[in-house]
Amino acid sequence: MRRAFSIAVLAWGIFASSAVLTTLDGRRVDPLANTGAKAVVLLFTRSDCPISNRYAPEVERLYEQFAARGFVFWLVYVDRTESENNIRKHVREFGYRFGALLDRKHELVSLAKPVVTPEAAVYARGQLVYRGRIDNRYVAFGKARQAATEHDLEKVLEEVAAGRTVQPKTTRAIGCFIEDLK
Amino acid sequence: MRLRALFAIGALPALGASSPTFNRDIAPIVFSHCATCHRPGEAAPFSLLTYADAQKRATQIAALTSSRFMPPWLPEPGKGDFANERRLSASQIRTIRQWAAQGAPEGNPADLPPQPKFVEGWQLGAPDMIVTLDKPYTLAASGSDVFRNFVFRPAVNATRYVRAVEVRPGNKKIVHHANVLIDRSGSSRLRDGQDGAPGFDGMDVKIETQTFDPDSHFLFWKPGTSYSEEPKDMAWRLDPGTDLVLNMHLQPSGKAESLQPSIGLYFTDQAPTRFPMLVQLEHDGALDIPAGRVDFVVKDWLKLPVDVDLLGIYPHAHYLGKDLQGLATLPDGSTRWLIHIPDWDINWQAVYRYKKPLFLPKGTVISMRYTYDNSAQNPRNPSHPPKRVGNGDKSTDEMAHLWLQVLPRSAPDQRMILQESVMRRRLEKYPSDFLAHYSLGALLQAQSMPGEAAEYYRRALLARPGSATVHNALGATLLSGGKAKEAMAEFQQALRLEPGYSNAHYNAARVFLAEERFGDAIEHLRAVIRIDPRDVPALSDLGAAMMATGQTDESIRYLHEAVRLRPDYFNARYNLGQVLAEIGKVDEAASEFRAALKLQPEDADSREALRKIGRE
Repeated sequence: MRRAFSIAVLAWGIFASSAVLTTLDGRRVDPLANTGAKAVVLLFTRSDCPISNRYAPEVERLYEQFAARGFVFWLVYVDRTESENNIRKHVREFGYRFGALLDRKHELVSLAKPVVTPEAAVYARGQLVYRGRIDNRYVAFGKARQAATEHDLEKVLEEVAAGRTVQPKTTRAIGCFIEDLK
Repeated sequence: MRLRALFAIGALPALGASSPTFNRDIAPIVFSHCATCHRPGEAAPFSLLTYADAQKRATQIAALTSSRFMPPWLPEPGKGDFANERRLSASQIRTIRQWAAQGAPEGNPADLPPQPKFVEGWQLGAPDMIVTLDKPYTLAASGSDVFRNFVFRPAVNATRYVRAVEVRPGNKKIVHHANVLIDRSGSSRLRDGQDGAPGFDGMDVKIETQTFDPDSHFLFWKPGTSYSEEPKDMAWRLDPGTDLVLNMHLQPSGKAESLQPSIGLYFTDQAPTRFPMLVQLEHDGALDIPAGRVDFVVKDWLKLPVDVDLLGIYPHAHYLGKDLQGLATLPDGSTRWLIHIPDWDINWQAVYRYKKPLFLPKGTVISMRYTYDNSAQNPRNPSHPPKRVGNGDKSTDEMAHLWLQVLPRSAPDQRMILQESVMRRRLEKYPSDFLAHYSLGALLQAQSMPGEAAEYYRRALLARPGSATVHNALGATLLSGGKAKEAMAEFQQALRLEPGYSNAHYNAARVFLAEERFGDAIEHLRAVIRIDPRDVPALSDLGAAMMATGQTDESIRYLHEAVRLRPDYFNARYNLGQVLAEIGKVDEAASEFRAALKLQPEDADSREALRKIGRE
């Protein structure tokens, strides 16, 4: 009983800082609204960032693994000026099968505070529990491992899925600076 | 806010009167150092041609130029003076950083220099010949990098001289670099497509040739490559049957990509008169790197037996390579850096050409010293946790190569002397090495030292018993030393090992022809023609043998074919003249003898033959 109460309080927190954005197919949604999802995973991206693009198959893999377990995924395009047609083409070419949001006013950027693309933000029960890299494949721009050895995002999602309390955590992601798009 | 920053920075002595703007300060840097690749249709992921392009990536540009990830340039400055250096100066980097920190201002439109002009399509104009991969290759969306070799078969009827090669990778987004290798042995085409896709895997391609014919040119492509022709007297030879192997480093992009590369060839009529050579320092045999070692060192050296000019250099290691050094120690004991790459990154490997040829006198010792990091701290380490690593052509193996393109200074062609030094040095590293023994055999054979050559061939056979190639070469050496019987035994051994071995059939036929055993000779020559109907020496000899056995019609047919394929082949002309004279076709015979004399004006036999038919 007390537990349910605390969730309600946290949920209250997100409603206060929610954002209503337009999806690529023209709907208005609040991705952080309490829809009963186990967690909401935001993946900040842009079409012209080679590191973001190279992560597309890994992101798809995570989506496949966790969507069926009650997680909601959103791509968040952070370029303010890129045309919807371009973004649509990008989504199609890289085979993303989940929704895309256009963060034209950087509302989600202001909330989650990603530094680069690609970067993930995970909201569980309305609370930001993770922001940072997908994994540790990249050490610096242009310096990458053959394969990742730490799957940070996947680990967080596993913890959430298992119902454990997740200590909010941030990691440093490598990619293209969002700062430039302000 | 911006004004205050401007004043604060403006007060710094290093900077001029005002803070940097795109139009005045950044555009000139970006246009000359970045736009070659960062423009539509090129390899870079986005363009950098306008203010809008640069402004929305200002922080990124500042960060990546500061870390010197961009523009990519691995050699340490001051150690080798290279052409087309892309490195930015410290002050250029500072300017970019200041510009980004101050909000990336555009500045006065009047300051903007004109956009650079680029040639679209083939950089050197329309090639004389274009070869394109038959079927596209598909690169998967994800996974680690792929190293793939594609085999091209340029269809030339006669030897051509190539003054330039241009590679069009077909899909620049995924091609990190490419190397063109010349395969005169036909060995790569046997590997082509064996796994069901075009080409074959492997970071490095080893081509073993049976003749001394060193590939002497770096034919390299990476994004932003500026193509140039070989010097007029340094074109390279493309024979009928020569394959080109395009060795490509491919990087998955995140989606499945299709790739269909082309190679453009530019010919010249001018045969080369200067012959550079690629000399390789290497010590792959010393590569046995324990897991966890951070500073495993591999060295090699070679003392130059002749004066050379060093034209270019190409260091090569895989993912564990860390610090790569090339050095020359001159006969007077002084040293000169040839190249130093302090933070090796295979992704940006490249051929570096010296601005001016670097003269290295006879007696100079050229050396390499490579350091490898096989620890978990090396993020590029392909094995996690680290594993013991040896040499090989997979990306999880290592290599220790330093290629140098050298041009021997004095005529005549001194490449054989150089090659002999390389092979003798190789024997020091690998005392029972097949390649060294075989090559030394071939080199000594070419210098008319059949006794010594045979000795090396025999040792090569110890290293690789059952090599048809060596049995055949040994036979040829014995034959030139007058030992026909022993030679024949070697040719027959080669044919037992490899029944379809054209050269051994041909050599056996030569022995039979000399012994006037025409029936046996014809049998072997027919075998050669079955393998390659365009083998002109075999056609000519077959014609001669047929003539000797009275099969005139067939003889004429083979000789005509030989003359048609190679009008400048003396033997075929002469033989055809003989057989035509024999059947009374005097006019035609005379014309063949005259053609033969045109090719070899001093030939007494042709003159005598003309006299005999009264057409002197």
